[in-house]
Amino acid sequence: MKLGKRWLPAHVLVWTYAALLLVPLYYLLASAFKSNDEIFGRPFAPPVSFGLGNFRTAFTRADLGLAVVNSLLVTVLALALTLLLALPAAFALGRSTGRAAAALERVFSLGFLIPTFAALFPTFLLAAATGLFHTRTFMVLFLPATALPLSVVILVQFMRTVPRELEEAARLDGASTYAVLRHVHTPMCLPGIATVLLLNFLSFWNEYLYSLVIIGPDPAQRTVQVALPTLKAITGTDYGVLTAGTVLTLVPVWIVYTLLQKRMQQSLVSGAVKM
Amino acid sequence: MTTLTPIPGGRAVHPAAPSPATAPPPRRQGGTILAVPALLWYLVFMVGPMAAIFVIAALHWPGMLQPVSFAGLGNLRTVLDDPVFWDAVRNTAVQLAVALPVMIVCAFMLGYYVAQRPPGHRVIRYLLFIPGLISTPAKAMVCYAALSPDGLLNGALKGVGLGSLTDAWLASPSTALACLIGLDLWSGIGFTAVLFAARLDGVPEELGEAAHLDGAGHWRTMWRIHFPVVRDYVGVVTMLQFLWTLFGSAQHVLLLTQGGPGTSSTTLSFLVYQKAFIAADLGYSQTVGVILFLTGLAGLLAIRRLFRQTY
Repeated sequence: MKLGKRWLPAHVLVWTYAALLLVPLYYLLASAFKSNDEIFGRPFAPPVSFGLGNFRTAFTRADLGLAVVNSLLVTVLALALTLLLALPAAFALGRSTGRAAAALERVFSLGFLIPTFAALFPTFLLAAATGLFHTRTFMVLFLPATALPLSVVILVQFMRTVPRELEEAARLDGASTYAVLRHVHTPMCLPGIATVLLLNFLSFWNEYLYSLVIIGPDPAQRTVQVALPTLKAITGTDYGVLTAGTVLTLVPVWIVYTLLQKRMQQSLVSGAVKM
Repeated sequence: MTTLTPIPGGRAVHPAAPSPATAPPPRRQGGTILAVPALLWYLVFMVGPMAAIFVIAALHWPGMLQPVSFAGLGNLRTVLDDPVFWDAVRNTAVQLAVALPVMIVCAFMLGYYVAQRPPGHRVIRYLLFIPGLISTPAKAMVCYAALSPDGLLNGALKGVGLGSLTDAWLASPSTALACLIGLDLWSGIGFTAVLFAARLDGVPEELGEAAHLDGAGHWRTMWRIHFPVVRDYVGVVTMLQFLWTLFGSAQHVLLLTQGGPGTSSTTLSFLVYQKAFIAADLGYSQTVGVILFLTGLAGLLAIRRLFRQTY
Protein backbone atom coordinates (compact mmCIF):
# COMPACT_ATOMS: atom_id res chain seq x y z
CA MET A 1 0.00 0.00 0.00
CA LYS A 2 1.24 3.47 -0.86
CA LEU A 3 1.40 6.07 1.84
CA GLY A 4 0.23 9.33 0.32
CA LYS A 5 0.77 12.94 1.24
CA ARG A 6 -2.09 12.80 3.69
CA TRP A 7 0.16 10.74 5.90
CA LEU A 8 2.27 13.76 6.78
CA PRO A 9 0.45 14.41 10.10
CA ALA A 10 0.89 10.75 11.02
CA HIS A 11 4.64 10.87 10.28
CA VAL A 12 4.98 14.02 12.38
CA LEU A 13 3.02 12.59 15.31
CA VAL A 14 4.88 9.29 15.32
CA TRP A 15 8.32 10.88 15.16
CA THR A 16 7.32 13.36 17.86
CA TYR A 17 6.46 10.46 20.14
CA ALA A 18 9.69 8.71 19.19
CA ALA A 19 11.53 11.88 20.15
CA LEU A 20 9.65 11.98 23.45
CA LEU A 21 10.96 8.49 24.13
CA LEU A 22 14.47 9.43 23.15
CA VAL A 23 14.92 12.89 24.67
CA PRO A 24 14.68 11.85 28.34
CA LEU A 25 17.13 9.05 27.65
CA TYR A 26 19.52 11.43 25.93
CA TYR A 27 19.13 13.82 28.86
CA LEU A 28 19.87 10.95 31.21
CA LEU A 29 22.97 9.90 29.33
CA ALA A 30 24.27 13.46 28.82
CA SER A 31 23.62 14.50 32.42
CA ALA A 32 25.55 11.52 33.72
CA PHE A 33 28.73 13.26 32.50
CA LYS A 34 27.87 16.75 33.75
CA SER A 35 27.88 18.71 36.97
CA ASN A 36 24.73 20.23 38.45
CA ASP A 37 25.57 23.70 37.10
CA GLU A 38 25.94 22.39 33.58
CA ILE A 39 22.71 20.39 33.82
CA PHE A 40 20.62 23.36 34.92
CA GLY A 41 22.40 25.91 32.76
CA ARG A 42 22.23 24.06 29.45
CA PRO A 43 20.10 20.92 29.91
CA PHE A 44 20.31 19.82 26.27
CA ALA A 45 23.95 20.60 25.53
CA PRO A 46 26.17 17.57 25.00
CA PRO A 47 28.65 16.97 27.82
CA VAL A 48 31.96 18.80 27.60
CA SER A 49 34.07 15.96 28.92
CA PHE A 50 33.45 12.29 29.45
CA GLY A 51 34.82 12.01 32.98
CA LEU A 52 33.52 9.09 34.99
CA GLY A 53 33.38 11.01 38.29
CA ASN A 54 29.60 10.79 38.62
CA PHE A 55 29.64 7.07 37.98
CA ARG A 56 32.34 6.58 40.59
CA THR A 57 30.36 8.59 43.14
CA ALA A 58 27.17 6.68 42.41
CA PHE A 59 29.06 3.42 42.66
CA THR A 60 30.55 4.14 46.07
CA ARG A 61 27.77 6.18 47.68
CA ALA A 62 24.99 3.68 47.00
CA ASP A 63 27.17 0.56 46.94
CA LEU A 64 25.97 -0.07 43.40
CA GLY A 65 28.73 -2.58 42.67
CA LEU A 66 27.53 -4.92 45.38
CA ALA A 67 23.94 -4.28 44.34
CA VAL A 68 24.69 -5.36 40.77
CA VAL A 69 26.25 -8.57 42.07
CA ASN A 70 23.18 -9.21 44.23
CA SER A 71 20.86 -8.57 41.30
CA LEU A 72 22.84 -10.92 39.07
CA LEU A 73 22.83 -13.59 41.76
CA VAL A 74 19.09 -13.39 42.32
CA THR A 75 18.32 -13.21 38.60
CA VAL A 76 20.51 -16.14 37.56
CA LEU A 77 19.44 -18.46 40.37
CA ALA A 78 15.77 -17.60 39.93
CA LEU A 79 16.07 -18.25 36.18
CA ALA A 80 17.64 -21.63 36.84
CA LEU A 81 14.91 -22.59 39.27
CA THR A 82 12.22 -21.40 36.86
CA LEU A 83 13.54 -23.74 34.17
CA LEU A 84 13.93 -26.59 36.65
CA LEU A 85 10.25 -26.31 37.56
CA ALA A 86 8.74 -25.27 34.24
CA LEU A 87 10.50 -27.74 31.92
CA PRO A 88 9.23 -30.98 33.53
CA ALA A 89 5.79 -29.46 34.00
CA ALA A 90 5.57 -28.38 30.36
CA PHE A 91 6.96 -31.77 29.28
CA ALA A 92 4.25 -33.58 31.24
CA LEU A 93 1.41 -31.32 30.15
CA GLY A 94 2.52 -31.20 26.54
CA ARG A 95 2.63 -35.01 26.07
CA SER A 96 -0.34 -35.93 28.16
CA THR A 97 -3.83 -36.09 26.75
CA GLY A 98 -5.67 -36.73 29.99
CA ARG A 99 -8.27 -34.54 31.54
CA ALA A 100 -6.14 -33.74 34.60
CA ALA A 101 -3.40 -32.37 32.38
CA ALA A 102 -5.84 -30.20 30.45
CA ALA A 103 -7.20 -28.81 33.72
CA LEU A 104 -3.68 -28.12 35.00
CA GLU A 105 -2.77 -26.30 31.83
CA ARG A 106 -5.86 -24.17 32.27
CA VAL A 107 -4.87 -23.35 35.85
CA PHE A 108 -1.49 -22.15 34.66
CA SER A 109 -2.88 -20.06 31.82
CA LEU A 110 -5.37 -18.41 34.19
CA GLY A 111 -2.56 -17.66 36.61
CA PHE A 112 -1.18 -15.44 33.92
CA LEU A 113 -3.97 -13.01 34.81
CA ILE A 114 -3.16 -12.86 38.53
CA PRO A 115 -1.31 -9.61 39.00
CA THR A 116 1.87 -10.34 40.88
CA PHE A 117 1.85 -7.31 43.10
CA ALA A 118 -1.65 -7.90 44.47
CA ALA A 119 -0.50 -10.15 47.31
CA LEU A 120 2.49 -8.19 48.55
CA PHE A 121 1.62 -8.22 52.22
CA PRO A 122 0.70 -11.91 52.53
CA THR A 123 3.91 -12.76 50.68
CA PHE A 124 5.78 -10.67 53.21
CA LEU A 125 4.10 -12.71 55.98
CA LEU A 126 5.13 -15.91 54.21
CA ALA A 127 8.72 -14.70 54.12
CA ALA A 128 8.58 -13.88 57.82
CA ALA A 129 6.97 -17.25 58.67
CA THR A 130 9.62 -19.23 56.77
CA GLY A 131 12.40 -17.27 58.45
CA LEU A 132 13.60 -16.01 55.09
CA PHE A 133 12.66 -12.38 55.62
CA HIS A 134 15.43 -9.97 54.62
CA THR A 135 17.20 -12.61 52.54
CA ARG A 136 17.84 -12.93 48.84
CA THR A 137 16.97 -16.61 49.19
CA PHE A 138 13.28 -15.88 49.48
CA MET A 139 13.34 -13.85 46.29
CA VAL A 140 15.13 -16.69 44.49
CA LEU A 141 12.36 -19.03 45.60
CA PHE A 142 9.52 -16.58 45.05
CA LEU A 143 10.31 -15.07 41.64
CA PRO A 144 10.02 -18.38 39.73
CA ALA A 145 6.47 -18.76 41.06
CA THR A 146 5.49 -15.46 39.47
CA ALA A 147 7.07 -16.57 36.20
CA LEU A 148 5.66 -20.10 36.10
CA PRO A 149 2.28 -19.52 34.41
CA LEU A 150 3.79 -17.75 31.43
CA SER A 151 6.82 -20.03 31.20
CA VAL A 152 4.76 -23.22 31.36
CA VAL A 153 2.25 -21.96 28.79
CA ILE A 154 5.00 -20.99 26.35
CA LEU A 155 7.01 -24.19 26.83
CA VAL A 156 3.96 -26.47 26.48
CA GLN A 157 3.44 -25.13 22.99
CA PHE A 158 7.01 -26.00 22.06
CA MET A 159 6.77 -29.46 23.68
CA ARG A 160 3.72 -30.20 21.51
CA THR A 161 5.80 -29.75 18.36
CA VAL A 162 8.12 -32.66 19.28
CA PRO A 163 7.04 -35.67 17.17
CA ARG A 164 5.72 -38.61 19.15
CA GLU A 165 7.88 -41.04 17.15
CA LEU A 166 11.07 -39.56 18.59
CA GLU A 167 10.02 -40.44 22.09
CA GLU A 168 8.89 -43.91 21.06
CA ALA A 169 12.23 -44.55 19.39
CA ALA A 170 14.06 -43.45 22.50
CA ARG A 171 11.83 -45.67 24.64
CA LEU A 172 12.68 -48.68 22.49
CA ASP A 173 16.32 -47.97 23.23
CA GLY A 174 15.43 -48.17 26.90
CA ALA A 175 15.47 -44.48 27.73
CA SER A 176 13.88 -43.44 31.00
CA THR A 177 11.37 -40.58 31.24
CA TYR A 178 14.12 -38.34 32.51
CA ALA A 179 16.36 -39.28 29.61
CA VAL A 180 13.58 -38.54 27.14
CA LEU A 181 13.10 -35.09 28.67
CA ARG A 182 16.82 -34.46 28.83
CA HIS A 183 17.90 -35.75 25.41
CA VAL A 184 14.82 -35.54 23.20
CA HIS A 185 12.52 -32.73 24.31
CA THR A 186 14.88 -30.20 25.85
CA PRO A 187 17.14 -29.84 22.78
CA MET A 188 14.11 -29.43 20.54
CA CYS A 189 12.62 -26.76 22.77
CA LEU A 190 15.71 -24.54 22.85
CA PRO A 191 13.98 -21.60 21.10
CA GLY A 192 11.19 -21.77 23.67
CA ILE A 193 13.69 -21.97 26.50
CA ALA A 194 15.50 -18.93 25.10
CA THR A 195 12.21 -17.03 24.99
CA VAL A 196 11.39 -17.93 28.56
CA LEU A 197 14.87 -16.99 29.76
CA LEU A 198 14.84 -13.63 28.01
CA LEU A 199 11.39 -12.67 29.25
CA ASN A 200 12.12 -13.64 32.80
CA PHE A 201 15.55 -12.05 32.72
CA LEU A 202 13.81 -8.75 32.06
CA SER A 203 11.19 -9.11 34.75
CA PHE A 204 13.57 -10.53 37.39
CA TRP A 205 16.26 -7.93 36.78
CA ASN A 206 13.68 -5.13 36.84
CA GLU A 207 11.69 -6.38 39.84
CA TYR A 208 11.29 -3.61 42.40
CA LEU A 209 8.44 -3.68 44.92
CA TYR A 210 8.94 -7.20 46.27
CA SER A 211 12.70 -6.77 46.47
CA LEU A 212 12.18 -3.54 48.37
CA VAL A 213 9.83 -5.05 50.93
CA ILE A 214 11.35 -8.50 51.30
CA ILE A 215 15.08 -8.05 50.85
CA GLY A 216 14.96 -4.64 52.43
CA PRO A 217 17.45 -1.79 52.51
CA ASP A 218 20.51 -3.69 53.83
CA PRO A 219 23.30 -2.73 51.41
CA ALA A 220 24.82 -6.22 51.65
CA GLN A 221 21.66 -7.87 50.33
CA ARG A 222 19.67 -5.37 48.30
CA THR A 223 19.33 -5.49 44.55
CA VAL A 224 20.25 -2.74 42.15
CA GLN A 225 16.63 -1.65 41.63
CA VAL A 226 16.29 -1.04 45.37
CA ALA A 227 19.64 0.71 45.61
CA LEU A 228 18.92 3.07 42.74
CA PRO A 229 16.14 5.18 44.30
CA THR A 230 18.20 5.62 47.46
CA LEU A 231 20.56 7.78 45.40
CA LYS A 232 17.84 10.43 45.37
CA ALA A 233 17.91 10.63 49.15
CA ILE A 234 21.68 10.24 49.56
CA THR A 235 22.80 12.77 47.01
CA GLY A 236 19.94 15.22 47.48
CA THR A 237 19.75 17.06 44.21
CA ASP A 238 22.97 15.94 42.59
CA TYR A 239 21.39 15.03 39.28
CA GLY A 240 24.66 14.03 37.70
CA VAL A 241 25.14 11.22 40.19
CA LEU A 242 21.46 10.25 40.06
CA THR A 243 21.43 9.92 36.30
CA ALA A 244 24.78 8.13 36.27
CA GLY A 245 23.34 5.52 38.65
CA THR A 246 20.26 5.10 36.46
CA VAL A 247 22.41 4.62 33.37
CA LEU A 248 24.44 1.96 35.18
CA THR A 249 21.35 -0.15 35.94
CA LEU A 250 20.18 0.11 32.35
CA VAL A 251 23.43 -1.06 30.79
CA PRO A 252 22.96 -4.85 31.13
CA VAL A 253 19.43 -4.74 29.72
CA TRP A 254 20.51 -2.48 26.92
CA ILE A 255 23.36 -4.72 25.90
CA VAL A 256 21.11 -7.76 25.86
CA TYR A 257 18.43 -5.89 23.92
CA THR A 258 20.75 -4.58 21.25
CA LEU A 259 22.44 -7.95 20.77
CA LEU A 260 19.24 -9.94 20.69
CA GLN A 261 16.78 -7.35 19.45
CA LYS A 262 14.82 -9.59 17.09
CA ARG A 263 14.57 -12.49 19.49
CA MET A 264 13.69 -10.20 22.38
CA GLN A 265 10.87 -8.49 20.50
CA GLN A 266 9.43 -11.85 19.53
CA SER A 267 9.73 -12.98 23.15
CA LEU A 268 8.03 -9.95 24.59
CA VAL A 269 5.28 -10.06 22.02
CA SER A 270 4.62 -13.76 22.53
CA GLY A 271 4.97 -13.31 26.26
CA ALA A 272 2.46 -10.54 26.58
CA VAL A 273 -0.31 -12.29 24.76
CA LYS A 274 -0.21 -16.06 25.06
CA MET A 275 -3.47 -16.95 26.69
CA MET B 1 -23.50 -56.48 44.97
CA THR B 2 -19.81 -56.20 45.61
CA THR B 3 -19.15 -59.64 44.28
CA LEU B 4 -21.33 -59.16 41.24
CA THR B 5 -19.94 -55.97 39.86
CA PRO B 6 -16.46 -57.17 38.90
CA ILE B 7 -17.85 -60.04 36.85
CA PRO B 8 -19.56 -58.15 34.04
CA GLY B 9 -16.64 -55.79 33.95
CA GLY B 10 -14.20 -58.66 33.80
CA ARG B 11 -16.13 -60.38 31.12
CA ALA B 12 -16.35 -57.28 29.04
CA VAL B 13 -12.66 -56.56 29.27
CA HIS B 14 -11.10 -59.97 28.91
CA PRO B 15 -12.35 -60.96 25.47
CA ALA B 16 -11.51 -57.52 24.15
CA ALA B 17 -7.98 -57.33 25.46
CA PRO B 18 -6.29 -59.74 23.00
CA SER B 19 -7.75 -58.16 19.92
CA PRO B 20 -5.23 -55.57 18.69
CA ALA B 21 -7.88 -53.27 17.18
CA THR B 22 -9.37 -52.27 20.53
CA ALA B 23 -6.22 -52.48 22.63
CA PRO B 24 -5.66 -49.27 24.58
CA PRO B 25 -2.55 -47.30 23.53
CA PRO B 26 0.46 -48.18 25.68
CA ARG B 27 0.44 -46.05 28.81
CA ARG B 28 3.18 -43.50 28.88
CA GLN B 29 5.27 -43.50 31.99
CA GLY B 30 5.87 -40.51 34.22
CA GLY B 31 2.85 -38.53 33.11
CA THR B 32 1.25 -35.60 34.78
CA ILE B 33 3.15 -36.18 38.01
CA LEU B 34 6.05 -34.15 36.62
CA ALA B 35 3.86 -31.07 36.73
CA VAL B 36 3.31 -31.41 40.46
CA PRO B 37 6.39 -29.50 41.71
CA ALA B 38 5.54 -26.52 39.55
CA LEU B 39 1.95 -26.66 40.69
CA LEU B 40 2.96 -26.83 44.36
CA TRP B 41 5.34 -23.92 43.93
CA TYR B 42 2.58 -21.97 42.29
CA LEU B 43 0.06 -22.79 45.02
CA VAL B 44 2.43 -21.92 47.89
CA PHE B 45 3.81 -18.67 46.52
CA MET B 46 0.93 -17.30 44.44
CA VAL B 47 -2.45 -18.80 45.26
CA GLY B 48 -1.79 -19.06 49.01
CA PRO B 49 -0.94 -15.37 49.49
CA MET B 50 -3.86 -14.44 47.23
CA ALA B 51 -6.26 -16.39 49.44
CA ALA B 52 -4.68 -14.94 52.57
CA ILE B 53 -5.75 -11.46 51.48
CA PHE B 54 -9.37 -12.47 52.06
CA VAL B 55 -8.61 -13.84 55.52
CA ILE B 56 -6.59 -10.85 56.71
CA ALA B 57 -9.31 -8.53 55.44
CA ALA B 58 -11.59 -9.96 58.11
CA LEU B 59 -9.11 -9.37 60.94
CA HIS B 60 -8.54 -6.45 63.23
CA TRP B 61 -4.75 -6.21 63.13
CA PRO B 62 -3.31 -2.84 64.09
CA GLY B 63 0.37 -3.71 63.47
CA MET B 64 2.75 -6.62 62.94
CA LEU B 65 3.39 -7.25 66.64
CA GLN B 66 -0.06 -6.28 67.92
CA PRO B 67 -2.68 -8.81 69.01
CA VAL B 68 -5.01 -9.97 66.27
CA SER B 69 -8.76 -10.22 66.68
CA PHE B 70 -11.62 -11.12 64.39
CA ALA B 71 -13.32 -8.11 62.89
CA GLY B 72 -15.75 -9.59 60.39
CA LEU B 73 -17.02 -6.82 58.19
CA GLY B 74 -15.76 -4.16 60.60
CA ASN B 75 -12.84 -3.30 58.35
CA LEU B 76 -15.13 -2.85 55.40
CA ARG B 77 -17.19 -0.33 57.38
CA THR B 78 -14.04 1.56 58.41
CA VAL B 79 -12.80 1.62 54.83
CA LEU B 80 -16.10 2.82 53.39
CA ASP B 81 -16.34 5.59 56.03
CA ASP B 82 -12.83 6.82 55.28
CA PRO B 83 -12.65 9.85 52.98
CA VAL B 84 -9.09 8.88 52.00
CA PHE B 85 -10.44 5.65 50.49
CA TRP B 86 -12.92 7.59 48.37
CA ASP B 87 -10.14 9.95 47.23
CA ALA B 88 -8.19 6.89 46.17
CA VAL B 89 -11.22 5.49 44.33
CA ARG B 90 -11.63 8.77 42.49
CA ASN B 91 -7.93 8.94 41.57
CA THR B 92 -7.90 5.34 40.35
CA ALA B 93 -11.07 5.92 38.35
CA VAL B 94 -9.58 9.03 36.73
CA GLN B 95 -6.34 7.20 36.03
CA LEU B 96 -8.10 4.27 34.36
CA ALA B 97 -10.62 6.40 32.49
CA VAL B 98 -7.91 8.60 30.98
CA ALA B 99 -4.92 6.30 30.59
CA LEU B 100 -6.61 3.17 29.27
CA PRO B 101 -8.65 4.51 26.29
CA VAL B 102 -5.94 6.96 25.24
CA MET B 103 -3.27 4.29 25.44
CA ILE B 104 -5.19 1.63 23.51
CA VAL B 105 -6.43 3.97 20.77
CA CYS B 106 -3.05 5.67 20.27
CA ALA B 107 -1.18 2.39 20.44
CA PHE B 108 -3.48 0.79 17.89
CA MET B 109 -3.03 3.65 15.43
CA LEU B 110 0.71 3.66 16.03
CA GLY B 111 0.80 -0.10 15.56
CA TYR B 112 -1.13 0.24 12.30
CA TYR B 113 1.32 2.92 11.16
CA VAL B 114 4.34 0.76 11.90
CA ALA B 115 2.74 -2.29 10.28
CA GLN B 116 2.44 -0.37 6.98
CA ARG B 117 6.27 -0.29 6.95
CA PRO B 118 6.77 3.43 6.31
CA PRO B 119 10.34 4.69 5.87
CA GLY B 120 12.27 4.35 9.10
CA HIS B 121 9.88 1.84 10.64
CA ARG B 122 12.75 -0.28 11.90
CA VAL B 123 14.16 2.62 13.90
CA ILE B 124 10.68 3.36 15.24
CA ARG B 125 10.21 -0.25 16.28
CA TYR B 126 13.52 -0.18 18.14
CA LEU B 127 12.63 3.04 19.93
CA LEU B 128 9.10 2.01 20.84
CA PHE B 129 10.48 -0.88 22.76
CA ILE B 130 12.66 1.17 25.07
CA PRO B 131 10.03 1.71 27.81
CA GLY B 132 9.38 -2.01 27.89
CA LEU B 133 12.99 -2.60 28.90
CA ILE B 134 13.37 0.01 31.60
CA SER B 135 12.67 -0.96 35.19
CA THR B 136 10.12 0.95 37.22
CA PRO B 137 12.70 2.71 39.42
CA ALA B 138 14.67 3.78 36.35
CA LYS B 139 11.47 5.08 34.71
CA ALA B 140 10.67 6.96 37.89
CA MET B 141 14.18 8.47 37.91
CA VAL B 142 13.73 9.59 34.30
CA CYS B 143 10.38 11.08 35.22
CA TYR B 144 11.88 12.74 38.29
CA ALA B 145 14.73 14.23 36.27
CA ALA B 146 12.24 15.53 33.72
CA LEU B 147 9.60 16.95 36.05
CA SER B 148 11.39 18.10 39.20
CA PRO B 149 11.42 21.90 39.81
CA ASP B 150 14.76 22.38 38.07
CA GLY B 151 14.43 19.46 35.71
CA LEU B 152 14.12 18.98 31.98
CA LEU B 153 10.61 20.31 31.38
CA ASN B 154 11.04 23.51 33.36
CA GLY B 155 14.42 24.04 31.73
CA ALA B 156 12.84 23.67 28.30
CA LEU B 157 10.00 26.06 29.20
CA LYS B 158 12.48 28.69 30.40
CA GLY B 159 14.54 28.13 27.30
CA VAL B 160 11.66 29.07 24.97
CA GLY B 161 10.61 32.04 27.10
CA LEU B 162 7.65 30.44 28.86
CA GLY B 163 9.22 30.64 32.30
CA SER B 164 5.90 31.71 33.85
CA LEU B 165 4.42 28.27 33.11
CA THR B 166 6.98 26.39 35.18
CA ASP B 167 5.67 24.44 38.12
CA ALA B 168 6.76 21.90 40.70
CA TRP B 169 4.89 19.33 38.65
CA LEU B 170 5.14 16.36 41.00
CA ALA B 171 4.55 18.38 44.16
CA SER B 172 1.51 20.31 43.02
CA PRO B 173 -1.91 18.87 43.91
CA SER B 174 -3.36 19.79 40.53
CA THR B 175 -0.68 18.10 38.43
CA ALA B 176 0.67 15.17 40.50
CA LEU B 177 -1.92 12.66 39.26
CA ALA B 178 -1.59 13.97 35.71
CA CYS B 179 2.15 13.34 35.88
CA LEU B 180 1.56 9.73 36.91
CA ILE B 181 -0.92 9.25 34.07
CA GLY B 182 1.57 10.88 31.71
CA LEU B 183 4.23 8.41 32.81
CA ASP B 184 1.82 5.50 32.18
CA LEU B 185 1.09 6.81 28.71
CA TRP B 186 4.68 7.63 27.87
CA SER B 187 5.84 4.14 28.67
CA GLY B 188 2.67 2.24 27.77
CA ILE B 189 1.85 3.47 24.28
CA GLY B 190 5.12 2.40 22.70
CA PHE B 191 5.19 -1.07 24.17
CA THR B 192 1.51 -1.71 23.38
CA ALA B 193 2.00 -0.40 19.85
CA VAL B 194 4.70 -3.00 19.22
CA LEU B 195 2.29 -5.71 20.36
CA PHE B 196 -0.38 -4.43 17.98
CA ALA B 197 2.11 -4.02 15.13
CA ALA B 198 3.20 -7.65 15.54
CA ARG B 199 -0.42 -8.80 15.35
CA LEU B 200 -1.25 -6.50 12.42
CA ASP B 201 1.78 -7.84 10.53
CA GLY B 202 -0.10 -11.12 10.44
CA VAL B 203 -3.21 -9.67 8.80
CA PRO B 204 -3.20 -10.58 5.08
CA GLU B 205 -2.29 -7.56 2.94
CA GLU B 206 -5.07 -8.34 0.44
CA LEU B 207 -7.63 -7.24 3.00
CA GLY B 208 -6.31 -3.67 3.06
CA GLU B 209 -5.71 -3.60 -0.68
CA ALA B 210 -9.25 -4.71 -1.43
CA ALA B 211 -10.58 -1.94 0.78
CA HIS B 212 -8.38 0.59 -1.04
CA LEU B 213 -9.68 -0.50 -4.43
CA ASP B 214 -13.14 0.20 -3.09
CA GLY B 215 -11.98 3.72 -2.35
CA ALA B 216 -11.55 3.43 1.40
CA GLY B 217 -8.85 5.64 2.93
CA HIS B 218 -6.39 4.50 5.57
CA TRP B 219 -8.56 5.85 8.37
CA ARG B 220 -11.49 3.73 7.23
CA THR B 221 -9.34 0.69 6.53
CA MET B 222 -7.74 0.91 9.95
CA TRP B 223 -10.97 1.02 11.93
CA ARG B 224 -13.39 -0.85 9.64
CA ILE B 225 -11.13 -3.62 8.28
CA HIS B 226 -8.14 -4.17 10.53
CA PHE B 227 -9.67 -3.39 13.87
CA PRO B 228 -12.49 -5.97 13.57
CA VAL B 229 -9.99 -8.62 12.46
CA VAL B 230 -7.78 -8.20 15.52
CA ARG B 231 -10.59 -7.22 17.86
CA ASP B 232 -10.14 -10.09 20.32
CA TYR B 233 -6.41 -9.45 20.46
CA VAL B 234 -7.05 -5.79 21.27
CA GLY B 235 -9.31 -7.06 24.04
CA VAL B 236 -6.55 -9.20 25.54
CA VAL B 237 -4.03 -6.36 25.44
CA THR B 238 -6.60 -4.02 26.99
CA MET B 239 -7.13 -6.51 29.81
CA LEU B 240 -3.41 -6.67 30.53
CA GLN B 241 -2.99 -2.91 30.46
CA PHE B 242 -6.02 -2.57 32.72
CA LEU B 243 -4.47 -4.91 35.26
CA TRP B 244 -1.04 -3.28 35.06
CA THR B 245 -2.54 0.17 35.56
CA LEU B 246 -4.89 -0.90 38.34
CA PHE B 247 -2.35 -2.86 40.40
CA GLY B 248 0.97 -1.48 39.22
CA SER B 249 0.40 2.18 39.97
CA ALA B 250 1.59 1.64 43.56
CA GLN B 251 5.22 1.55 42.43
CA HIS B 252 5.15 4.84 40.52
CA VAL B 253 3.25 6.59 43.30
CA LEU B 254 5.66 5.28 45.91
CA LEU B 255 8.70 6.42 43.97
CA LEU B 256 7.43 9.79 42.75
CA THR B 257 4.78 11.37 44.95
CA GLN B 258 4.16 9.13 47.99
CA GLY B 259 0.46 9.68 47.32
CA GLY B 260 0.66 13.39 47.92
CA PRO B 261 0.40 16.25 48.19
CA GLY B 262 -2.38 15.39 50.63
CA THR B 263 -4.19 12.54 48.94
CA SER B 264 -4.15 14.04 45.47
CA SER B 265 -2.24 11.14 43.92
CA THR B 266 -3.15 8.27 46.26
CA THR B 267 -4.42 5.38 44.15
CA LEU B 268 -6.09 2.25 45.46
CA SER B 269 -3.07 0.05 44.98
CA PHE B 270 -0.84 2.58 46.72
CA LEU B 271 -3.36 2.71 49.59
CA VAL B 272 -2.91 -1.07 50.02
CA TYR B 273 0.85 -0.57 50.26
CA GLN B 274 0.69 2.50 52.47
CA LYS B 275 -1.73 1.04 55.01
CA ALA B 276 0.29 -2.16 55.25
CA PHE B 277 3.85 -0.89 55.40
CA ILE B 278 3.61 2.73 56.54
CA ALA B 279 0.41 3.05 58.58
CA ALA B 280 0.50 -0.58 59.84
CA ASP B 281 -3.27 -1.03 59.64
CA LEU B 282 -3.22 -4.48 58.13
CA GLY B 283 -6.91 -5.32 58.14
CA TYR B 284 -7.69 -2.03 56.40
CA SER B 285 -4.93 -2.60 53.84
CA GLN B 286 -6.09 -6.06 52.87
CA THR B 287 -9.73 -5.00 52.77
CA VAL B 288 -8.76 -2.50 50.11
CA GLY B 289 -6.81 -5.38 48.54
CA VAL B 290 -9.98 -7.45 48.32
CA ILE B 291 -11.87 -4.51 46.80
CA LEU B 292 -9.05 -4.05 44.31
CA PHE B 293 -9.09 -7.75 43.43
CA LEU B 294 -12.85 -7.74 42.86
CA THR B 295 -12.58 -4.56 40.79
CA GLY B 296 -9.92 -6.25 38.69
CA LEU B 297 -12.13 -9.29 38.14
CA ALA B 298 -15.18 -7.20 37.24
CA GLY B 299 -13.07 -5.08 34.91
CA LEU B 300 -11.69 -8.15 33.15
CA LEU B 301 -15.16 -9.54 32.54
CA ALA B 302 -16.42 -6.18 31.33
CA ILE B 303 -13.52 -5.75 28.90
CA ARG B 304 -13.96 -9.28 27.63
CA ARG B 305 -17.62 -8.57 26.90
CA LEU B 306 -16.80 -5.28 25.24
CA PHE B 307 -14.31 -6.86 22.85
CA ARG B 308 -16.18 -10.07 22.13
CA GLN B 309 -15.65 -11.06 18.51
CA THR B 310 -18.71 -9.87 16.61
CA TYR B 311 -18.24 -11.12 13.09
